Amino acid sequence: MMTSTILLIFLSFCIGAGVWLFFLYAVKKGEFDDVEGPKYRMLEEDEDKQDKDSGPNGS
Amino acid sequence: MPASPEQLTCHHCGEAFPATDLVTETLDDQALQFCCHGCRGAYLIIRGAGLEHFYQRQDRQIGTLKEAFTLRVDDQYLDRFVNRHDNQAEIHLILDGIRCASCVWLIERLLLKRPGIVAARVNFATHRILVRFAPETTSAGQICRTLADIGYLARPYTPGELQQSADREQRDLLLRFGTAVFLTMQLMGFSLALYAGYFQGIDPHTRTLLEYLAALVTTPVVLYSGYPFLRGAWISLRHRQPNMDLLIAIGTLCAYLYSLVAMGMGDEVYFETAAMIVTLILAGRLLEAGARRKAAADIDRLLKLAPLRATRWAGDSWQEVDSQELSPGDLIRLTAGDRLPVDGIIHQGITDIDEAAVTGEPLPVTKKEGSTVVSGTLNLSGAIEVRVTAAARDSFLARMTAIVEQAQTDKAPIQRLADRVATIFIPAVLVIAALTYCYWALHGGPALINAVTVLVVACPCALGLATPTAIMIASGRAARSGILFRGGDVLETASRITHLAFDKTGTLTTGRPRVTAVYPYKGEMNRFLQLLANVEAASNHPLAHGVMAEATRRGIRPEPVATATTHPGRGITAAHNGHLYRAGSQRFLQEAGIFPAPLQSHGRSEIHLAQDSSYLGCVALDDPLRPDAAAMFADLHRLGYTCLLLTGDRQDVARRISAELGLDDYRAELTPEQKAEVIAALPQGSVMMIGDGINDAPALSRAAIGCAIAGGTDIAVESANLILTRPQLATIPLALRLAQRTLTNIRQNLFWAFSYNLIAIPLAVSGLLAPVYAAAAMAISSICVLLNALRLKHQRLTP
Repeated sequence: MMTSTILLIFLSFCIGAGVWLFFLYAVKKGEFDDVEGPKYRMLEEDEDKQDKDSGPNGS
Repeated sequence: MPASPEQLTCHHCGEAFPATDLVTETLDDQALQFCCHGCRGAYLIIRGAGLEHFYQRQDRQIGTLKEAFTLRVDDQYLDRFVNRHDNQAEIHLILDGIRCASCVWLIERLLLKRPGIVAARVNFATHRILVRFAPETTSAGQICRTLADIGYLARPYTPGELQQSADREQRDLLLRFGTAVFLTMQLMGFSLALYAGYFQGIDPHTRTLLEYLAALVTTPVVLYSGYPFLRGAWISLRHRQPNMDLLIAIGTLCAYLYSLVAMGMGDEVYFETAAMIVTLILAGRLLEAGARRKAAADIDRLLKLAPLRATRWAGDSWQEVDSQELSPGDLIRLTAGDRLPVDGIIHQGITDIDEAAVTGEPLPVTKKEGSTVVSGTLNLSGAIEVRVTAAARDSFLARMTAIVEQAQTDKAPIQRLADRVATIFIPAVLVIAALTYCYWALHGGPALINAVTVLVVACPCALGLATPTAIMIASGRAARSGILFRGGDVLETASRITHLAFDKTGTLTTGRPRVTAVYPYKGEMNRFLQLLANVEAASNHPLAHGVMAEATRRGIRPEPVATATTHPGRGITAAHNGHLYRAGSQRFLQEAGIFPAPLQSHGRSEIHLAQDSSYLGCVALDDPLRPDAAAMFADLHRLGYTCLLLTGDRQDVARRISAELGLDDYRAELTPEQKAEVIAALPQGSVMMIGDGINDAPALSRAAIGCAIAGGTDIAVESANLILTRPQLATIPLALRLAQRTLTNIRQNLFWAFSYNLIAIPLAVSGLLAPVYAAAAMAISSICVLLNALRLKHQRLTP
C-alpha cells in the first residue's frame, strides 16, 4: 500500500515536472512574449510588403 | 560604429573582424563588408525577403544586463539624454522593477525628498520616469544611483530599451507564475490527502511523509515565486515606506513559517495558504502587466513610426547615421518606402507622401522642392533629399508622443485621493493585524492564522488599480479614435463640460477658403491681386492661403516684401518698395484711419488692402463648412450641450453659419483677447473651446479644456489639452461621452475596492475567513476592477 502510494506520487510528480519543463522551454523560446502581437503583426507584414512593392525595384 | 583600419565591421553581425577575412558584396553601388560567407548569405536572404529594416530595428547591444547597467551610470553617457531648459534639466528613464501602484508612489516620494530634484513622475503604463532636477545640485547619474539603491534599475530611455525591459519582466513574471502553478497543483494533492486523513484518520507515517512533501513543494513557491514580494518588502522596510509588497510578504511568511513549526510539533499545517497567496497574487500581476502592455503598445506604435537610422550627406558621401544624431540643416536622402525620421523641407525631388499615420488623410499628397514633410510620414514614390528642420527629439512625432505620454503620466485628482488613502491604509492594516493577534491570543483562538488573514485580505491592490487602469484604457481607446487627452485630469474635466465654444475658420469650416470675388477700388484687377499676394505671402492664415491660391491660378507670382508683421485675428502689415501695406479686416483698416467702401458680400469673409493711407480694394472669400459639422451639432444638442460660435469674422458671416448649423449663440468680430474674455465670462470649469489657429491660443488656454484640431497651428496644439488627430468633428461628442463614461467607471471601481475592504477586514478579524479564501477574494477583487475598466474599451459611445 505505502509503496504504491509513493510510486503514484512520484509518477504524478514526473508528469507535472514534464509539463513544467515544456513550459519553461516555451517561455525561454519567447512563445509568450507577445500574445497580442501576432494577430496584428500578420497585417503589418502585409503593409511592409506593400511599401516595398510600390517602390521601384532594387532602386 | 567606426572601425579602425585593420579591424573591419561586419554588415550583418556587427562584429569586428580582421581585414584578412573580408568578404565583399556590391549592391546598389555600395560595397558591403562581411566577416564570412555565412554572414553574407544571411544578409542576402534577409534582404531578399525585403526585411532590411531588421538591421535598423536590432539594438546591437553586447554584454549582460548587469554590465550594461554599471557602464551606464556614468554621468557623461547619461548627459546625452538630459534635456536642459533655463536652469532646469530633465531626463527620461526606464525603470525595471515596478510592480504595482505602490512602487510608483514610493519612487516619486523618495526622489522628491532628495535635494535638487524638482519633479519626478512615473508612468505606470510604460514604467518610464520623467525627472526634472537642478543640474548644480544633482546629476542624472546620482538619480540612477538613488533608484538603484531602492531596488529599481534605471536606464536612459530609447525605444528599443523599453521593449527589451518589458519583455524581460514579462518573462520573469511568467516563469515565476508557471512554477508556482505547477508546484501548487502538486501541493493541492498532498493537502487534499491530509484533509481526508484529518476526517477519516490516517497512518501517522503517511501523514508525516505527506507533510514533508508539502513542505518540499511549498518552499520554492515562497522563496522563488514569491521573491519579488520578499524583495519589495525588504526594500520598503529599509526605507520605512510601507507598501503592498510588505503586506503580501508578511502574510506569506507567517503562514509558511507557522506551518514549518506546526509540522515539527505535530499540529495542522497550512502550507497551501502560503502557496495560494503567492500564486493568486502573481496571477493578478500578470493580468495587470497585460493591461499595461496594451496601453504601452499604443505609445510604442507612435514611436515606431520614426526609423532609427537615416542616410545623411557627410560633405562628400552618403553615410548611415543614427536618426537621433540628425540636427537642423543636415541633408538626408530617402528612397521610396522610407519613413521620415525627422521633420524637414524637401531639398530636391518630387514624391507622393502618405501622411495617413499623422493626419488621417487617406490620400497621398504630392510634395516637391520646398514642401514641408513631417516625421512618421511615408515616402511613397520617388527618391528625395530633405533638409532637416528639427532634430528627432523636437520633431512632430516626438511632440505628439510626448503629449500621449504626459496624458498617461498625469494623475487625475481622483487618483491622488486613492494614493493618499493608501498611505494611511497600510499602517492601519498592520495595526489591526497586530490587535487581532493579541485578541485571539488572549482568548485562546487561532491567533496567528486570523492575523495572517487580515494581512492577506487587506492588500488593497484593487484600490491602487482602480483609477490608472480606467484612465489608461480610456486614453488608449481615445487615441485609436483620434483623440488625445493631454493628462488624466483632462478626462475628469471633460466629464463636467456643459458649454462648447467653437472657432469658425478651420474648425467648423474646412479652413481652405476660396476667393469668390475681387473688387479692386482703384486700378486694374491683376495689379491689385499682385500687391495683395505680395503682402499675404508672408501670412500663414487660411484666408491668405485662399488669396495665394487665387493668385497662382491667375499666374501671379508674389514678390518678396521687406518686412511683414502679423496682427493675430486682424490682419497683416508689410513694407514693400517704400510703401506700407495693410491687409486685413474692415476694422483693421479703420483703426489705421482708412475707411473702405461699404460692400455687400452676403456673409462672406473679406480681405481689404490699403497702400499707406489710400484704399486699394478687397477680395471676398467663402470658406465651405466641414461636411460633418451639422451632424456633430445634432449629436451635441441631443447630449444637452450649449454650443456657441466665437469668431474674428464679421457679424453677418457668424449669423449665417450659426443659423445654418443651429448653434445656440454667436459672438463675432472678436480679437483673440476678447475670445478669451468671452470664455472667462462663462461658468468656470465648464467650457470647452475648440479652435485651430494662433488667434485661438489665448481662448484655448483660458477654457477648462482647449481642444485643437490636427492641421492647426503648432501654437494652438501647444495651448490645447485635448487634441483631435484627425480632422473629424464627429470625434468631439465621442470624446465627451468617453470622458463621462470613464469617470463613472472610476467611481464604480473605487466604490467596489473600498466596500470590499470594509466587508472583508471585519470578517477576517472575527476569524470567519480562512486565509485561502482571503487570497482568492483579493485576486477576484482585482480582477473585477480590471474587467470593469476593460468594459470601457467596448462601450457604445453614440448618443
